[in-house]
Amino acid sequence: MKVVPSRLSEWVRPVTLQQPACAIIEIERVSQVFQTSARKDHLALSDISLTIDEGAFVSILGPSGCGKSTLLYIVGGFVNPSSGAAKMKGQAITGPGPDRGPVFQEFALFPWKTVLGNVMYGPRQQGVRTNEAEAQSRALIEMVGLKGYENFYPKELSGGMKQRVALARTLAYHPEVLLMDEPFGALDAHTRTRLQNDLLNIWERDRKTVLFVTHSVDEAVFLSDKVVMMSKSPGRIRQVIDIDLPRPRRRNELLLDPRYQKYVVDIERMFDESDEAGSPS
Amino acid sequence: MISSTTMAKRAAPALACIGLLAVWQVASLVLKSDSFPTAIEAIRAIPDILGDRESLINILASLRRMAIGFSIAVLVSMPLGLLMGRSRAVAAFFNPLLMVIYPVPKAALMPIIMLWLGVGDITKTLVIFLGVSLPVIYHSFEGAKAVEEKMLWSGAAMGLSPLQRLVRIVLPAALPEILTGCRTGLVLALITMITSEMIARQSGAGNILFNALDMGQYDTVYAMIIIVGAMGICLDAVFERVRARLVRWSEPQFDLPLSFS
Repeated sequence: MKVVPSRLSEWVRPVTLQQPACAIIEIERVSQVFQTSARKDHLALSDISLTIDEGAFVSILGPSGCGKSTLLYIVGGFVNPSSGAAKMKGQAITGPGPDRGPVFQEFALFPWKTVLGNVMYGPRQQGVRTNEAEAQSRALIEMVGLKGYENFYPKELSGGMKQRVALARTLAYHPEVLLMDEPFGALDAHTRTRLQNDLLNIWERDRKTVLFVTHSVDEAVFLSDKVVMMSKSPGRIRQVIDIDLPRPRRRNELLLDPRYQKYVVDIERMFDESDEAGSPS
Repeated sequence: MISSTTMAKRAAPALACIGLLAVWQVASLVLKSDSFPTAIEAIRAIPDILGDRESLINILASLRRMAIGFSIAVLVSMPLGLLMGRSRAVAAFFNPLLMVIYPVPKAALMPIIMLWLGVGDITKTLVIFLGVSLPVIYHSFEGAKAVEEKMLWSGAAMGLSPLQRLVRIVLPAALPEILTGCRTGLVLALITMITSEMIARQSGAGNILFNALDMGQYDTVYAMIIIVGAMGICLDAVFERVRARLVRWSEPQFDLPLSFS
């Protein structure tokens, strides 16, 4: 005698969806309107939809004023979108939280705290015991290459060192997503290169999801799995390009790699075309 | 091991004081006026004042009022200024009020306050409070306004609540500016202390001064001026030490960043 299930639900067992690459951040039809001084509305972001997979290094690339930082602030929960929604692991983002750690171009370190104090701040806030937080923070400071500078104040450090501290401070509270807002934009070319290399080394250890805003094509291609190209007025996604280059990436090899060069040239050409098409003057 | 330049730097204030006293001494000897005693006569009168129990109690009472007025003013004004700096609504409410009070000499309010509260400690402390409040509010306000937004965002991402951000980020970040306000406030506390005692003559250092003036004891008058001046210098020096220690992290001697990427 065959036992036939009486109800459909007994046939279809609930299956947990396990995709190989799971979306961690979903941006759904986000628009952002700012009011300019002349009471005119300025559409900074127009109808942006984007999905970011867990563990991916995604760059948002575009000219200044295309709203790329605003998009990052919306994901961070620092700015509320005028319409649409951003979600983190399926939950609507309503404000900042320790699951999303920002690193800003301006460093935004706490100047009254030493390097160690800055890095310990997040873990202490999360309730980690002082001894433990200090041990972890010292290890992180060493990892970003600042061993020996634990008791220095931010004012005593160069720009590159400050950004290293800022990175360590954010990593210290274990965010699931790093939100990097033109982090190397204020640094000189040499320092910038060193920090890019070091960021990649650190990232390749634990492959956190990174959302990285930049206006540098080389930087975006060098670092990312995926480059989101944006155009301005209004800020829109122009194209999303997968960067299919092997990892771990070494700068001296990559710069000579024709595939890398092609990505850079192609992306630059696309921006040039849009400039010509988009500028009436 | 002190170099000659640091020696000169340290000796400079003392030399300035001695110079001033010397000019005073000479001017007084030349003018030969009864109402203008020599510096030496004035300095000789100082031990008499400080040795007199009554005078000492008066001066200490003055200092106590000043300390209370100053402390309450800082405790009230600092949070208010910080809130104003971070909230447009709070600023919009208090700014017009402060604009009205700001240019009014606080001593000019004393007659009115005396009508309500009498000539006692409360009136004088209140006037000191008013004198100290405005610079502290103003500097706290400016300091809080200037706090980098991204610093607050960083704190928010770590899980700090709005109140925690105000206390643990805005307050320390604005501290150098707040302390500048407090330093101005401290000097104003001394000034309003003396003026309040000049108007409500009952006790205090100001009272000693003006009583002596009434009785023509000019050496005591000048001695009191020296004492008040010395108190001001000492208070300011102590405050400056505390301030420098609290905001060591923002001092310009740290302004030479290391060169390393």
